[in-house]
Amino acid sequence: MIACLSIPGFELKAALRTRPSLELRPAALAQEPGGEPLIGPVTAAAEALGVRPQMRLGEALATCPKLVLVDPDPAAAEQAWEEIVRALEDAGFAVDPAAPGIAYFETRGVERLYGGLDAALRRALAAVGPQWDARIGVAGRRFAALAAATVARGGQLLVVRDEEVGNFLAPLPLSLLPLERQRSAELEALGVRRLGQLAGLPGGAVAERLGPDGRRAWGLARGGAAARVRGRRPPSELVEALEFPEAVGNELTLRRALGALVETILARPERRDRFVRKVALAARLIGGGSWRRTLTLREPSTEADRIRIALAPRLAELPAPVVELRLELVELTDPSGHQLELLAAGAEDRSRLREGLRQVRASTGTGSVCTVVEVAPWSRIPETRALFVPRDD
Amino acid sequence: MVADSRDARAVRSAGRLNEPRPARVEANFDGTPWQVNHVPVALLREEWRVLDRWWTESPVVRRYFEVVLETGEDTVVFNDGAGGGWYTQRGA
Repeated sequence: MIACLSIPGFELKAALRTRPSLELRPAALAQEPGGEPLIGPVTAAAEALGVRPQMRLGEALATCPKLVLVDPDPAAAEQAWEEIVRALEDAGFAVDPAAPGIAYFETRGVERLYGGLDAALRRALAAVGPQWDARIGVAGRRFAALAAATVARGGQLLVVRDEEVGNFLAPLPLSLLPLERQRSAELEALGVRRLGQLAGLPGGAVAERLGPDGRRAWGLARGGAAARVRGRRPPSELVEALEFPEAVGNELTLRRALGALVETILARPERRDRFVRKVALAARLIGGGSWRRTLTLREPSTEADRIRIALAPRLAELPAPVVELRLELVELTDPSGHQLELLAAGAEDRSRLREGLRQVRASTGTGSVCTVVEVAPWSRIPETRALFVPRDD
Repeated sequence: MVADSRDARAVRSAGRLNEPRPARVEANFDGTPWQVNHVPVALLREEWRVLDRWWTESPVVRRYFEVVLETGEDTVVFNDGAGGGWYTQRGA
């Protein structure tokens, strides 16, 4: 079985850890600067007063003038989430963290260890701790497990057997599906409001009307594809931080600080000749709050300049002066895991390509390398519009 | 003497792109397809006719259909009015 652990409003709960007094008051997570003016998750007190997540900010404040807006703290959320995932891993679960507040794991491997499915899931809830109000949904497929976790109450375990999946999903709302708002609205206008209604439509018609995303949503509404959950690779622990004596907003200074951090972290012996695949740049901002961006390099690298150039533009996105800048090597390759590209990007592309083609021709004979030439693009007969012609230059 | 091994290999000349490929199509009484290569048709998106080269000895008379199959695949098939038979074709 696949279990899905869900912590609704995780980012808000993480941001409120330093301000616990707000948990009982109407509060909502503010959006990061530059985003649409919609509020994020809300506390139970705010919900009781009519404020809903994803409401427009103006509407939320009009509904509840006492609403407190909490600044997002992505670095704290990331750290709290990492603690939760590690607690689950320490309890023996191979966890696939899908997003902050949502994680999947297989129960089969640990059921015997804890004496049954129920006991294993209780152990998982205990590992997370009661303060997060987590809940777990279990089903044979990921999407059904996620739906079960969404429906479950705090601290509850909800198991959906394979034969019950269709009936269980049918009355649930379409908002569970990863659909764009426009697509959901389109379905709603057509009178499709429940997963069961979508699942009952012919797949071809859904694909025609809504495209590949719609087709995928249709598949999910019917229970989703069978796929195993793969536990994550343990993250790297390489972190370098630079604390400034006073808050810095000057981009040039920040770029220099970043350069120094890159040099230092690459020189750490714990890296052991491994190449960097994914990095994260985080900052603690003046007046509380934090900022974090992760970046996956197009090609794993250990070149300081390359990493610096990739990260530097992100500094311009900083919303406020910084009191601490942190660089984390989130994912590293294996020591021998660096594979050169067959054709590297750059000026020598053409000559290497030409040489490659020459070798293909030499091994397969003349006429094996062709180029497409348009001869009658206006023709109504498709096969007369273009020819492929042997290329021997 | 050792023969040139390349002589044995196929030497291709200029070819057409998007050549029609024979397809197994089951059609309704009105000529619209309901099954393409054993996959049922979920939706008929469009239909059009191509009449060309009627002044030559090999005129082109085709009835094209763009269909969405049950698998979600969008494909174009045509019925050859001159030679008979069904074909799939890309780039139509």
